[in-house]
Amino acid sequence: MDDALLFEERPHWWSDRRAELMLGALACGVLAVVLAMVVFVVTAAWPSFAHNGLHWFGPGGSVDNQIRTIFLSGDQGGPFRWQFHAWPLLWSTFLTTAAAVLISFFCSLFVALFIVEFAPSSVRQVLEPVIRLLASVPSVIYGLIGVLVIVPFIGNHLVSQHEKRSVAYVISLNGYSLAAAVLILTVMISPIMIAIFCDGLRSVPRGWVEASLGLGVNRWRTFWKIAVRTARPALIAGTVLATARALGEAVMLAMVSGSVGFAPNPFDGLIFLFEPSRPLAATILSNSEELSSPPMKHTLYAIAAVLLFSAAMLSLIGWAAKQPMKKYAVRA
Amino acid sequence: MKLKTLALAGVATVAMAVPASAGATTLIGSGSTAAQPYLLPLFKSYSKIHPSIHFVYTADGGNAGVKDVQQGKSQFAAQARAPLPSDAGTTYIKLFLDGLCMDVNSANKLTNLSIQQVRDIYLGNLTSWAGVPGSGLSATIDPFGRDTNGGTYNFFVSSILNNKPPASTVTALLSDGLVANSVAKDPNAIGYNGLAYFPRKGIKPLKLNGVPCNALAVKKLRYPLTRYIWLVLPTANSSRKVEQFADWVRTSVKAGQIIAKAGGVPAFNDTAKKKHHKKK
Repeated sequence: MDDALLFEERPHWWSDRRAELMLGALACGVLAVVLAMVVFVVTAAWPSFAHNGLHWFGPGGSVDNQIRTIFLSGDQGGPFRWQFHAWPLLWSTFLTTAAAVLISFFCSLFVALFIVEFAPSSVRQVLEPVIRLLASVPSVIYGLIGVLVIVPFIGNHLVSQHEKRSVAYVISLNGYSLAAAVLILTVMISPIMIAIFCDGLRSVPRGWVEASLGLGVNRWRTFWKIAVRTARPALIAGTVLATARALGEAVMLAMVSGSVGFAPNPFDGLIFLFEPSRPLAATILSNSEELSSPPMKHTLYAIAAVLLFSAAMLSLIGWAAKQPMKKYAVRA
Repeated sequence: MKLKTLALAGVATVAMAVPASAGATTLIGSGSTAAQPYLLPLFKSYSKIHPSIHFVYTADGGNAGVKDVQQGKSQFAAQARAPLPSDAGTTYIKLFLDGLCMDVNSANKLTNLSIQQVRDIYLGNLTSWAGVPGSGLSATIDPFGRDTNGGTYNFFVSSILNNKPPASTVTALLSDGLVANSVAKDPNAIGYNGLAYFPRKGIKPLKLNGVPCNALAVKKLRYPLTRYIWLVLPTANSSRKVEQFADWVRTSVKAGQIIAKAGGVPAFNDTAKKKHHKKK
């Protein structure tokens, strides 16, 4: 009796649709938060862009001295100074991210190919959980390994006194370097790539691979031409995610990159790899205490806006690159 | 049903927390990160003696802390530099002393540097140990320092570099501990660390202008990189309870021991030893 009554009272459409409505509302909520964040960051960033124009992105002067001037002008309440030329920071971000993603892409592709197509199942059962675990290690841990092991090794063994002396008036080659940053960043982002690449390769229809093998095409060529080709959207998705992590990495890079607003110069030859720099995200971290100075606050938000914009562009490029591949590919 | 239980549990937790703190006073402070390692044990010990008093301290930097006091957001601030004209409306109280030591790798034979030499190294004018007599090295100098977040950075830049920014040859690190680590790992390094960091394996404090960096020289204000750690209060309507805390930190034997243990130098505290030596 009671049960029947309850059934009568509750309209069916509600019990059917409440999950849908709830999830929809949550999704809209997330969208609203993202939108509010973008508006907030861009508004806070605007004064810095407005005062510098396109020079904001260009080179000129020492960016560290500019940061200090900006901070002091706000801290002492005097007339605000705004001059900020972020080129060394942008260049450093680009170099570390691009190098790490490039190296990581090829390593991850081969590792994923091995795990999915070649490895015996006993090896696979060990490798996959280990890689998942690596993907979730906090970046401070990587930073500490860098500071305690990799940086001293580079500083004490790979850089010669002659090389150090040749640039001694500009920078110190003490191991805190582009090479250390790229190396650790590569290790950090590879597990994400491998995990996604594996999923992509695994979803290639068996029939396609077997058909190719059946036609007498050798294994290597089959996997290269059929499996990898079909899994391209997954490769792009993995690369985009890994690039996003590399772009936003702050703690580890602030620890090992040398934290100097210097643009490593490829024309310096090989020592270019050992030159220190400081990417954008690390700059926000190392100057976070200076938020109390109004012009500095706007400058830091401008850096944040650039990072936000790059991340958005990255997703967009990833999406656009996937479009022409949709026809003969598995979905990622 | 489960959701309701969860919500109830949440409400109950909040309800239980409120009466527990109702009889107590929470003193809200902010400011220097350099002072934080000293303040935390001091807070803990003071709360033990006065169970009704609790502290909340946000290490947002000394200058930010003073602004918090000016705006009434904090009841007190800790500061590692002397008062400036921009600190209007606040009162500074000296709590105790701290020294900043220049340090090199233990493999370095150097024992003494002049302030001018330190300045030259950190401004990029002196880049080789060959130019520093007594080091026994001819390699390039690897100078390390703090990033701009550190109160230590501000103190170093204002007292040694005359407020000029350090040269691009100086590698800026995230924390004082990382500076000590880098100096220990790199035989050609030089860095700076608070007194609390010594003695430590692999790093060696240097004399500055011939004065050793130790508690005695700091206490007698003979060591050049000596600084007071200050407590900043609003000049009008300062909290009586914060004043009492400041008095306790400045004068009690117990606080003196805590400060010394944390690596600072008690400046005013009556210690049992000192009483013994007092002339009558």
